[in-house]
Amino acid sequence: MSIDGWRPTAETVTGRWSALERDWKSVIVGGMIVALVSALELQIPW
Amino acid sequence: MAIRRLLPGVFALCLGALLARGLALSLGVNNLLLAIALGVVVTNGVGIPARLESGIATHKLWLGAGIVLMGASISVETVLEVGGRVFLVVIAVATLTLIVVELLARNVFGLAERLGSLLAAGASICGVSAVVAVAGAVSAREEQVAYAAATVLLFDAITIAVYPIVGDLLELSSTVFGIWAGVSMFSTGPVVAVGFAHSEVAGQWATMTKLSRNALIGVVVLAYASYYARTGDGDIPSVRTLWAEFPKFVVGFLALAAVSSLGVFSTAQQTSIEHAYNWLFLLAFVGLGTEIQLGDLRQTGLVPAFVVMLSLLVASSLSLALLLVLF
Repeated sequence: MSIDGWRPTAETVTGRWSALERDWKSVIVGGMIVALVSALELQIPW
Repeated sequence: MAIRRLLPGVFALCLGALLARGLALSLGVNNLLLAIALGVVVTNGVGIPARLESGIATHKLWLGAGIVLMGASISVETVLEVGGRVFLVVIAVATLTLIVVELLARNVFGLAERLGSLLAAGASICGVSAVVAVAGAVSAREEQVAYAAATVLLFDAITIAVYPIVGDLLELSSTVFGIWAGVSMFSTGPVVAVGFAHSEVAGQWATMTKLSRNALIGVVVLAYASYYARTGDGDIPSVRTLWAEFPKFVVGFLALAAVSSLGVFSTAQQTSIEHAYNWLFLLAFVGLGTEIQLGDLRQTGLVPAFVVMLSLLVASSLSLALLLVLF
């Protein structure tokens, strides 16, 4: 698939993300971090 | 593309967080308060370039995400054990603050009705977010919103400095200090910052208490909207307002606390999640510091500031006395 094929998908994702309320974005960012830590056993240093 | 526009500011927040962490380790001071100080110094010293502004404004997103992740570290047993008492204190103090500000604003100092309501919502529930939410429901004028928001930000700046000092002077326990900050300070960011600056346990209590207070915003917006609609100059509210105004990151926090209490995370995963929220808080607090612009705070009106100061003194001292009796 050429890069042009991905463009509509990327635009849809960006559009949906922009329309999302800030608080829900916080939940999604938090959920993504938990998913990464759980699935990849990601070690985050401090 | 929107994300490209945000990147420089987010990169600046990351740099600020790393700098705050590095300085805090070498100077032996609290990294969260240092992150706020860094933001204050930069914004008031050299100013924030326009191309960084939109990225730096994402700091509220990182604070919300950090609070969601904090859900994984919460001891559900402890919350169930003392949560009922804390929630009663939250309702009592929020109601008291709201009434004191309304009475002082209307009957003693003669402020405009809507300005008094905005100050009351900001002081009793969740700072500037509450001011904005109530302003929409009561059709407040723009200058009233700006005035009320500036007053709330002034007291955010003052309480960030004063609460840790009072906590140390009175040698408050982590639980009492955390709940006290959560129940009486205004905005969520400063509450989380001073809580974690005191101790990990105080930070968790401060955040949980503040979240339960934030959850009351829907009820307050609904009440104000009903009042102003009754007087004939506001929008007619609906029960949908309750959900529309409910802070959604509280849902994420509760969901993660429930999942974590099932024991699905290993110790290593839990540690990584804790480190992740520590970093997110640092990013958020560098950004929060840039919002404290001393020039704007000087323009806060004397009377609104005095009204809010009186109510803060009443709510803060009464809630501390109550907490010292209860815990």
